[in-house]
Order: sequence, then C-alpha cells, then structure tokens
Amino acid sequence: MQSNIEFTFDGQKMLALPGQSVGAALLAANQRTLRTTRFNENERGVFCGIGICFDCLVVINGVGNQRACLIEVTAGMNVQTQVGSHA
Amino acid sequence: MHNVVIVGAGPAGLSAALAAAAAGAPVLLLDSNQRLGGQYWRNSSEPIESQKDQHFDLDTGMLLMNAVKARKEISVWNGAQIWSASHKDGVNTLRVLHQGGEKIINTANLVLCTGAYDRTLPFPGWDIPGVMTPGGVQSLIKGHGVLAGNKVVVAGSGPFLLPVAAGIIKAGGQVVELLEANKSKRWLLSPLTLLENITKLKEAFYYIKTISQGKVRARFGVAVIAAHKGVDGKLESVDVATIKRNFKVKKTRNVKCDVAAIGWGFTADTSLAGALGCKLKVARDKGVVAEADSNQQSSIPGIFVAGELTGIGGAELSMAEGVIAGISAAKFVGCKVEISRAHKKRRAKKQRFADALIRSYPVKSGWLTWLKNETTVCRCEEVSVGNLKYAIEELGATDSRTAKLFTRCGMGLCQGRVCGRSVVDLVAAELNISPTDTDRISAVNRPIISPIPLGVLAAGE
Ligand SMILES: Cc1cc2nc3c(=O)[nH]c(=O)nc-3n(C[C@H](O)[C@H](O)[C@H](O)COP(=O)(O)OP(=O)(O)OC[C@H]3O[C@@H](n4cnc5c(N)ncnc54)[C@H](O)[C@@H]3O)c2cc1C
Ligand code: FES
Repeated sequence: MQSNIEFTFDGQKMLALPGQSVGAALLAANQRTLRTTRFNENERGVFCGIGICFDCLVVINGVGNQRACLIEVTAGMNVQTQVGSHA
Repeated sequence: MHNVVIVGAGPAGLSAALAAAAAGAPVLLLDSNQRLGGQYWRNSSEPIESQKDQHFDLDTGMLLMNAVKARKEISVWNGAQIWSASHKDGVNTLRVLHQGGEKIINTANLVLCTGAYDRTLPFPGWDIPGVMTPGGVQSLIKGHGVLAGNKVVVAGSGPFLLPVAAGIIKAGGQVVELLEANKSKRWLLSPLTLLENITKLKEAFYYIKTISQGKVRARFGVAVIAAHKGVDGKLESVDVATIKRNFKVKKTRNVKCDVAAIGWGFTADTSLAGALGCKLKVARDKGVVAEADSNQQSSIPGIFVAGELTGIGGAELSMAEGVIAGISAAKFVGCKVEISRAHKKRRAKKQRFADALIRSYPVKSGWLTWLKNETTVCRCEEVSVGNLKYAIEELGATDSRTAKLFTRCGMGLCQGRVCGRSVVDLVAAELNISPTDTDRISAVNRPIISPIPLGVLAAGE
C-alpha cells in the first residue's frame, strides 16, 4: 500500500492514493456530485470515467472545466465543485 | 528516415508500434493516458503483476507493453493529449498537450489507433449521479482501485457487460442485477464463428465463473428503462423492464441500487481521424468509423487507421489490424517489409467474430418508447426530448443537423460524443424517416478534438 496524498475539496481535507484521479478519489470518499448544471442546476458526477462526456467538471486551483476523471491528484490540490459554466 | 507517429497505446497502437519498429522504423507512440495499455489493458500505478485478477489476459498486454518499453526505436509520450489537428498538402499537424506545455508535431506519416468509448442511450434519469457507463465503472476499478458503489446494476447489451460485472465482484462489490437486453439464443446465428474463435468462448466462461461466485444470474431480454433519485439527490433505484425483441416494454419492476452501469456496446472515437479529413463511413451497427483499405490505410495516403476506430471488434481484431497498420506505415517511410498472408488471414478470422457480435447484440428502436418529454438528451446543453420535438414540430426542422442548431443539442463540451448517435435516431423517428449516412457522419463532425480550458494552455506556457 502506498502512502496517501492530501488535497482539499470545497475546503474539506481529502485523501488520495498516488496515481488516482480527482474523480476516483472523490468517489472513494462517497462524494458523487462534482458540479451543478448551468440552466437547471442539476447535480452531475462521473459518468463515462474516461474523459469523453465532460460531465465530471470541477474547478482545480482556480481553473474551471477540468475533467475530474482524467486529472491525477497532486499534493495540496485545491478542488472545488463547479457551479454552472464557471465563467 | 522519418518517424512513424502512432496515436493510442491500446491493443492496436502497441501492436502497430512493435510491427513498425521491427521493420526498422523509428516510432513515436503517444497516448493521453498516463500508462500504456489503452482500455483493454488499463492498469493502475500499483505493481502490474498484482492487477492480473482484474484481467482475462494481462499477460499478453504485459508482453506488448514491456516490449514497447524495451525497444530503443520506440519513444513513448504518456499523458500526451492531442487536442487539435489538421492536414494540409501531405503534412499532418498535431497540437499536443504534454508535460504542462504545448508541442507541435508535423508528420507525413501517422497511425491512428484512438479506440472507442461506451455507447449510451438516453432514458429518464440517466443524468442522476450514480448512473454511469460500464466502461466508467470498470476504469475506476482497473485504473484507480475504486468501486463506484456497493450495490450495482449492470445492464444494456453486449459481451462487455460480463467483464464489468466480474470486475465489480472481484473488487468486492455486489452486482444486484446483470441484465442483457437481447436474448442469449442470438449467438446460435453464428455457430461456426464461435467454434473458430474458441479463445473468445474461454474468455466468456472465465467471467461467468466469477459472476456465478457473486451469486448473480444474468437475465436476458431485460433492460433498465428509468432511474430515480432519493432525497439526497443521488441514485436510489432503477426501473427494470422485461422487453420484447424490438425493445418495447412488457412489464416493469423497481430495483434498489446505488450505481447503475448501463452501456450498449461501443462507438468509435473518430474525432482525430475526422479532424484530419480521413473519410468516415457508417458501419453495419450504424456507428460511424474510419474507412480503411486492406493495408489499413485511410483515404489519405500516409495516414493509417487500426483498432476500434475502424469498427467495433474487440482487442484481438484491434491487434491484428495494428500489426498490419504498423507494417504499412514502416513501408511508407521506406522500410523493406511486406504484409504476409498470415497477417491478413488472422485479421479476417477476427473480423468474422466481430460481425457475429454485431448480429448478436443489436440495439432495437423500441428504446425510443422509454423516453418522456422531459428526459434529457444532451447532457451538456441540457436539451430535452420535448425541446427536440418543439424544434421539429413548431420550428420546422427536417433533419438532425437543423434540430441541433435550433436547440444546441450536441453542441456542448463533449461535442455530441455522448448524444450524437441517439439524436440522429430520435429526430428521424420523430419525422418518420430513416437517417441517411450523411446525417450520421455529420453528427460526429468535431472541429476541436478535445476542448482545453483556457487557463490550462496559458499556465503551460
Ligand atoms: C472504458 C472501456 C473499457 C473496455 N474494457 C474492455 C474489456 O474489459 N474487455 C474487452 O474485451 N474490451 C473492452 N473494451 C473494448 C476495447 O475498446 C477494445 O477491446 C480494445 O481496447 C480496443 O483497442 P484499441 O487499441 O482499438 O483502442 P483503445 O484500447 O481504446 O486505445 C485507444 C487509446 O487512444 C488514446 N487516445 C484517443 N484519442 C487520443 C487523443 N486525441 N490524444 C491522445 N491519445 C488518444 C486513448 O487514451 C486510448 O488509450 C473497453 C472499452 C472501453 C471504452
Ligand atoms: S466522467 Fe466523462 S469526462 Fe469525466
């Protein structure tokens, strides 16, 4: 077992294993909602898991529209729920 | 000698790289994944030997991946996403995001092995968190060691549902239902092909053994037709229906679950091939694929295509095509090498199996009756069935392209990868016409291969 990496999600401390994506680490912590949609404010999370659907969008270190299922967690990463299109 | 540039390091790309290198060509192999293996041999950062129980045949994968790493003629760029590409006067320009910056590759010679992704169908509630694709659930396990939930319903159609269900059970999860929409008898349509491809039968039995240990029995002629959320907004249950041969509902029951993995086979990822201008065509399963000649060359000389990109057929067909594409590419850059008859024979045998698959797991139009007016079709732009009907009935759209323009359906960030194929069928059904090949091909037209957030490019410079 490798050691855990610390990051935050909406200010809360989270743990990930090395090599895990943001989406996988959040699902492991039972955190399913990653964003809310622009018009109907519906909750969305990981759907395709391989970078195709763009439903898992989060804000990472201030940059929005990033796919949680693709991006590997790094130490100290600041991840936030994306609200709408994060204009 | 020029480099052979190969995009995609799955079964097709790995085979192509080894074949081209063996012929003496220097190879650059690119993949957006952090590790080699593609979808079939997706693996995590844990030691690879410890991951064998999530695979039927990781040994073959390890053999290819180790050989690729060992060959000095092959350079590998992992974590390299091609986000834009164009073709002009025989030169292909690829814009690649790699190691935090953008690199530009100009090459006359390319092998595209970009694979496929899960085909999905819209249904009421498919946008609730917890409804996922089978490939998504599997990639979380294989690539990240994470189970998406504890009580999983696996449903849809196709042999891929078996490894997904087996993988969930091996990872310690519970498969509460395993539902195949088609009848198992359909395999009797192709007895000779089954016997000829006996390793495929072995693979199926390997998964079925694990699945029976998980105390689930596959049900046939059954589908998930709706999903419901609980008070917490997350998936709580699905409606499971016994369906007729044409997929129309006979009888429904409700099943509690926290994840529903639902997929209907695969759709080829033609984004890169399309952006370069390679000719696309409609395959027998009505999916759009890249056209290839008998040497795996696309309509553009110097661009070769292999694997699921040229038609859905599984890892073994992808490998057989990859070898031929790699040899063809090496030949194109001046290596003295020929494609043998054995290579073509092997490809033909795997192709017969792929054809049998398509006959055995059709998606019948009755799925359209599962939809309601408020059902979301385009997840990105939040376009509903009702919005599309309005575009047709009130605004006068007479094909899917116009309906798209009126509603923005398929024009969000995924550029119609998820809904495009279904929208073509839905609009045609609404208009009472059959979709043309032009309708289907225009639905996969994507100017950008993968939209990159503004801040990412800027930060990398
Ligand atoms: C999620 C998923 C899981 C699957 N699991 C199984 C399974 O368990 N068993 C089975 O029999 N079949 C499985 N399949 C079917 C599978 O696609 C094939 O059997 C096999 O992997 C196809 O090989 P390929 O080489 O054609 O493509 P793939 O293995 O899909 O490889 C394509 C590669 O190209 C890369 N790529 C694509 N576009 C770009 C780009 N623009 N820039 C950089 N890189 C790019 C991708 O990252 C990927 O690694 C799965 C498919 C999917 C989508
Ligand atoms: S879950 Fe589909 S892009 Fe991340």
